[in-house]
Amino acid sequence: MSGYWPWWAGAAGLALITINYALTTDRSFGVSSAWDRVLHWRRERRLEEMDAEFTDERALADALAAATAEHFGTSPTAPPAPYGTSQLLETGAEPTVNEDTSVTNPGPAPLVTQAALLISIFFGGLIAAVTSGRFHLRFDMGPGFRNVVTAHPATMTVLLFLGGVLVGFGTRLAGGCSSGHGLNGCGRLRPVSLVATAVFFGTAVAVSFLLWKVI
Amino acid sequence: MRTRGAILLANIITGLTLGYTVSNIGFGDYTELNRMFTFQDLRMLLSFAGAVVIIVCAFALLRVRRTPGRIHAGVIPGAVLFGTGWAISGGCPAIPIVQVASGYLPALVTILGVTVGIRLCRWANARYFHLDRGSCGL
Repeated sequence: MSGYWPWWAGAAGLALITINYALTTDRSFGVSSAWDRVLHWRRERRLEEMDAEFTDERALADALAAATAEHFGTSPTAPPAPYGTSQLLETGAEPTVNEDTSVTNPGPAPLVTQAALLISIFFGGLIAAVTSGRFHLRFDMGPGFRNVVTAHPATMTVLLFLGGVLVGFGTRLAGGCSSGHGLNGCGRLRPVSLVATAVFFGTAVAVSFLLWKVI
Repeated sequence: MRTRGAILLANIITGLTLGYTVSNIGFGDYTELNRMFTFQDLRMLLSFAGAVVIIVCAFALLRVRRTPGRIHAGVIPGAVLFGTGWAISGGCPAIPIVQVASGYLPALVTILGVTVGIRLCRWANARYFHLDRGSCGL
């Protein structure tokens, strides 16, 4: 149908994107998480500022402790963990899951990078649509939506809004979406991501069959 | 490679390539999505599953850092709500952006819904659920 990529090209593309991100940033990317942080940018920026101050204070404390140890020959007590690592403990995660204990958790990606991710998705999609000849301004969601869900514009608007609310609420409640849990989490074989992906995919299958066959 | 500028560049490259790839696979097309979820066409399903298999193998070979995650009380209800919303609106949080970029203007309403849902969840969590963030976005 209409010149979409074969499955192997799609699989290779999605895999390369995820692997490249993990290797270059030592993090996972999650689109719902990016949305969440960008939408709460005031609070997130305050957290980043607090984290930066904490890091400065920690560096000072480390330097003082090292100087004290050098002077008195005593070993300093371990300093408290910064925001990025303390968040791990807040999530109740088992530290044993970290296979490489020499690598500390780098913390969340800076807020501005999350906004850049969302904006870049738009331009990536635009380039794809224009270069493939699929770009076409329209006020409906295409024949599939019209046949399976509704052809009525007002009902369509209400359903898209409600569907969007479910997606936004659900992804944040579940802690991730198809990119965070589906690609990055399943790729790391995280139990929580495997469960979440199985459940959201299974539910989407059930609801799609209902829409297709019943409603 | 882990400086702020490098992370920004990585996010821009990831966003551009993700939008480009997802659009060319067909995730922004509701017809294709419904055909995937009803197993009428396995192409997109194989794209996703194939990507996961490649990533699992690559991460194991490259010994990529494992991030922890706990199955808290919000995971299953959240995933059910997400799956329902995805099947109805055709959008996981990235897809409505790609749909708008392809010219589907009503997807702006989906984006509005997503933003309302995300804000609602953070509010409801702080007020009622008190679940840990458990975010996968680290």
